[in-house]
Amino acid sequence: MAFSLYQEFYKLNHRKLTWISPLVLLILMILTGISIGYNESKLLMATCYNAPDWIMLILVVIGSTTFSMEFQNNAILTLLYKSHNKVIVYLSKYIVILSYNLWLHLLAILFTLGLNEISINQSVPWSTLYLYQQPLWENMLKTSTIDVLTTTFIISLIFLFSCLINNNAIVISFSLLMVFTGQFISANLLNSEKFTQILRWNPFNMTNLTRQYYNYTTYFDTSHLLNQQLLQGTLSYTLLFVIVGYLIFRKKHF
Amino acid sequence: MLVVQNINTYIGRKKIIKDATFKIHPGNITGLIGPNGAGKTTLMKTILGLTKFDGQIQLNQIAVTENQYTALANVGALIEHPAIYPFLTGKQNLALYAHDPDDCQRLISQLNMTKYINEHAKGYSLGMKQKLGIAIALLNNPELVILDEPMNGLDVESTIGVRQLIHQYADKGTAFLISSHILSELQKVMTQVILINRGQIIVDQPIAEFEHLHHQTYKLLTDDTRLTVKNFIKHHICYTLNNDTFQVNPKNIFEIQDILSSQNIHLKELAPISCNFEQIVIQLLNQERGNRHDN
Repeated sequence: MAFSLYQEFYKLNHRKLTWISPLVLLILMILTGISIGYNESKLLMATCYNAPDWIMLILVVIGSTTFSMEFQNNAILTLLYKSHNKVIVYLSKYIVILSYNLWLHLLAILFTLGLNEISINQSVPWSTLYLYQQPLWENMLKTSTIDVLTTTFIISLIFLFSCLINNNAIVISFSLLMVFTGQFISANLLNSEKFTQILRWNPFNMTNLTRQYYNYTTYFDTSHLLNQQLLQGTLSYTLLFVIVGYLIFRKKHF
Repeated sequence: MLVVQNINTYIGRKKIIKDATFKIHPGNITGLIGPNGAGKTTLMKTILGLTKFDGQIQLNQIAVTENQYTALANVGALIEHPAIYPFLTGKQNLALYAHDPDDCQRLISQLNMTKYINEHAKGYSLGMKQKLGIAIALLNNPELVILDEPMNGLDVESTIGVRQLIHQYADKGTAFLISSHILSELQKVMTQVILINRGQIIVDQPIAEFEHLHHQTYKLLTDDTRLTVKNFIKHHICYTLNNDTFQVNPKNIFEIQDILSSQNIHLKELAPISCNFEQIVIQLLNQERGNRHDN
């Protein structure tokens, strides 16, 4: 396992995309800060300048290419027989992308602290009470932590797609479609007001977790689930997608 | 060392390898030959546990299965195309798999890759990629190396270099399973030959024994070709026919003479002819196809 992890970190470390992405994240965060309005500082600080959406976008691209690069470079055969078994290959890739996910969230927090210092928007102290009667710093940390779980759910889904489809472009397109239109699909399903008690547990609904945390009143009407229920659903689907993804990978022949 | 027993490999529901059984011992260089689509690459992938199969594959008494590759810890392979990441340099591609940097450096020198090893692999030619793929297979002093068409895209100097390297590793006890369409090249290194056709192993012999048994064939000319063909088919005699001249196996010549005599067919010529390795392989494949038609 240790050697497989080393190999995956080595590859991630040597891809240009890995190092360009934080820069892209920073630019998108600055653009969000400029475009969202001078008086929305509290929302920007609590959501790390909308970093959850930008990180999701980056992870879709990097996560989708994690498996497809092996297929496209004919490296999957070597990767498999050089490891002890398929589960190690699958888990190593998953752990490495999860680590990258954590790293991006950490960077987003640091960028937020920096952007707040240079005052793109109205300066607000971190101790100001905001969401759930908690200080801003706590809102930011909790939003980031919850978003780590949402993005982990998305990574599991991307891995599942990657094991089903070898083509990189299709996996990226499909994942983006799922991530950015998932909430609308779910909202449409629930708008019919039939079988709401069952349909509210559809996996598309789980993409609302982060947004609902920082904008409860708007998103509760869409998701029909409490924060706690969304969290449980996200964790359950993450586990399910990881297991199903692995079973597909296990049965796949190269 | 490697024991393959009654292996059947499936792609979907189609059986690609049929009841393959053979052994490879330390230091053996086994040539795996056969026509396109015979199942050479599939057999190699099966040994690496990368296909759906039944039967038994053991390396040093440890089983290889579809999901368990522990037995392959000391195996190197180059299957179909070299496994190279274009965003890494040649050296980084090697470092990704290497346990010992000195081993890495030695292979770079031996395969003459020093000039370009620090460049990104996306700019490599087919031959450069192939050499890098061979180097990856030879990393970490493997016990068994599986090479699928290793001479693809290599120039003369590189081909000689790779051949010397194979001999050098085999002398130290590394076993090789090599497939190649360039039979003359394979003939220069292999000590054992496995001939496969339509997923079935039809020959598995040491090369010396193979050449001894199959090196000679007989040329036969009769006064009635049509009737001769009819009798050969009737008596299940394997042959190849070019114009009116038959090529037959030496083991059948007495039986042939008896058959022809009983049918009042007269011999015009019956003489031994020598064959090179390629001709022997083609003749064996033709014989196998003939047998299949008869059955």
